[in-house]
Amino acid sequence: MSVGGVVTAAPSRPEVDYAAAPWQRVPIYVIGGTVVAGILLPLVLTRISIGDYLITLLILFFMQAVVAQSWNLIMGYGGIYSFAQVALFAVGGWTTAVLAHSLGWNPFIAMLFAPVVALLAAVGIGLPTLRLRGVYVVLLTLAFHELARVFAVTGPRFISGGGYGLVSVPTFQFGNVIGQQRTIYLYYLAMVIFVIATFVIWRVIHSPLGVAVTALRDSETYGVSRGINQFRIRLILFAISAFFTGLAGGYMTHYNGGISTSVFDFSRLIDLLAMIVIGGWGTFAGPILGAAIIIGLDQYLVAIGDYRALFEGLILAVIAVFAPQGLWPVIRKTYDKYLGPEQQPAPAPASAAAHAETRNEDLK
Amino acid sequence: MSTQFVQAVWGGVLFGSVYGLMALGLTLVWGAVRLLNLAHGALFVVGAYAAYWVVSFLHLPILVALPFGVLAAAAFAYLMHIIFIRPVIGKPGFDNSTLVATVGISIAVSAAALLIFNPQYKVVPPVLSGSTIVAGVQITYQGLLVIGTSLALFAIVYAFLTYTRLGMAIRAVSQQTEAASLMSIPVVQTYGIVIAISGGLAGLAGVLLSPSFFLSPNSGFNPMIQALIVTIFGGLGSVRGALVAGFVLGVFESFVEVFYGVGWAQPGVFILIILMLIVRPNGLFGIGEVKRL
Repeated sequence: MSVGGVVTAAPSRPEVDYAAAPWQRVPIYVIGGTVVAGILLPLVLTRISIGDYLITLLILFFMQAVVAQSWNLIMGYGGIYSFAQVALFAVGGWTTAVLAHSLGWNPFIAMLFAPVVALLAAVGIGLPTLRLRGVYVVLLTLAFHELARVFAVTGPRFISGGGYGLVSVPTFQFGNVIGQQRTIYLYYLAMVIFVIATFVIWRVIHSPLGVAVTALRDSETYGVSRGINQFRIRLILFAISAFFTGLAGGYMTHYNGGISTSVFDFSRLIDLLAMIVIGGWGTFAGPILGAAIIIGLDQYLVAIGDYRALFEGLILAVIAVFAPQGLWPVIRKTYDKYLGPEQQPAPAPASAAAHAETRNEDLK
Repeated sequence: MSTQFVQAVWGGVLFGSVYGLMALGLTLVWGAVRLLNLAHGALFVVGAYAAYWVVSFLHLPILVALPFGVLAAAAFAYLMHIIFIRPVIGKPGFDNSTLVATVGISIAVSAAALLIFNPQYKVVPPVLSGSTIVAGVQITYQGLLVIGTSLALFAIVYAFLTYTRLGMAIRAVSQQTEAASLMSIPVVQTYGIVIAISGGLAGLAGVLLSPSFFLSPNSGFNPMIQALIVTIFGGLGSVRGALVAGFVLGVFESFVEVFYGVGWAQPGVFILIILMLIVRPNGLFGIGEVKRL
């Protein structure tokens, strides 16, 4: 895993080895431009009539994308079939809700504890679970989901709130700002969380840790024989994933001013799964794309009511079987073919690990 | 005390046979196809609703509806195999694809059930009505039927796998796919048959259970989770394990329920399975091959 060495490039700036440092391929202008666009967007949107609505949609998109990315990190990259993602989201949400609701903490401070507690919970689940494989992980994480739900419904009153969840949690207050200006501040807060989570996940994927985990996913025997501590790597990955999921849970709780036990509904899990599968399982940008698609479509799908779940299930099944790569690789291929720069001939992969990494870096 | 004890044993044996019935299908599919069928609960729902439809819309007796439900679930499972499982057999992403596809199918099925029938709880009439009282505990004849059917099915499946040509083919495919196909066993077709049998078993469970647990579009989910637990407890792919684990877990859950309260039943089972996995990671009768998925 000597890939990390290239990151701290020498002062003389030698030729960048793109195969070893794929993140260098993204021009700084693209990233900078996207961030600036993100900052300016609400200022533009407030000028148009449905702007407020679009901003709230974007906030929702940011949070869902964070959760979907975190899930993709362990599911798509790590090959850990964990279904505890929504439960970890709820752990984060409940942590901050209890701190703000029962102890009267400031929402901004309370929210900082959400990811920490979610991380601790993840380590707690991970210790017995992550030594096992596939189907066992599915079962134990589903069990955790179910236990968390039962606890949230029937637990002590300061947690269950009588069975429906905590419904009067203080929302974020920015001084005396109200109305549209407050929405814009909420948007920026969500964006900051999204940017941090995306950046960290991006770096994790392209760190030695990420390379190790994809190597393990693609050939466990090989990875283990190269001295990768499978359990430790998976636990770290699981903890990172839980951290951001919990953070998103904390934000959403204060954004909505409460958290209800309906977060445990299976449809939430399915929505997130759909984001990952439709966008692109095990690709960096896939879950972000998927979140945008699902949240964008959702506004129209409301009209078809109960048919939504039917279509969602069928689409999931069809994509999983007939286009398991999802949409992102298709978009990327089209981009490379018509708009992208000339392809440099990729150096021959030196080892299976490097191969696994080059195969799975689908970022742009 | 004595009443409570009889109550716990009766409930445990009843639950156990039910769990065993569901787990039998799951474990068969896992053992032969290496497919974790998360749509097993959907097959349960398909069978139960098919029987409900026959009874309440065609006004036929439940004894006609029972085989209809079983066949409907088996046919649905076979269709699922043709459309969603067969295209990915032998492909590298088999685990991912089938996991997501079966989740998707189960969502679609419960949504369809919601659309066709309304969300109200349905009642399927029991095959046998009436009950008797033993030591102060009500023993329903339907419950006895469930236990008897479950035990009989275990015996039939065991004999089928051991003595018939098709059963031997299934075992051959599950042990060595390449060798089996060299012996001119149609591997993919055998997979389809196993999946259909498993669907039929889930459908049967659905029809037999719906009188006691009410029928709703999502009512397959909990039995499926229980069946997963039983399957893992007994060892994935082991028919004997599913039977034993079904009864062990059923009796355990029932005793916890009777003596500590209903709220502790599910946490208790989960704690038991976690302990089990720490002590014996392959389950009671696991074959030790936990590599794929």
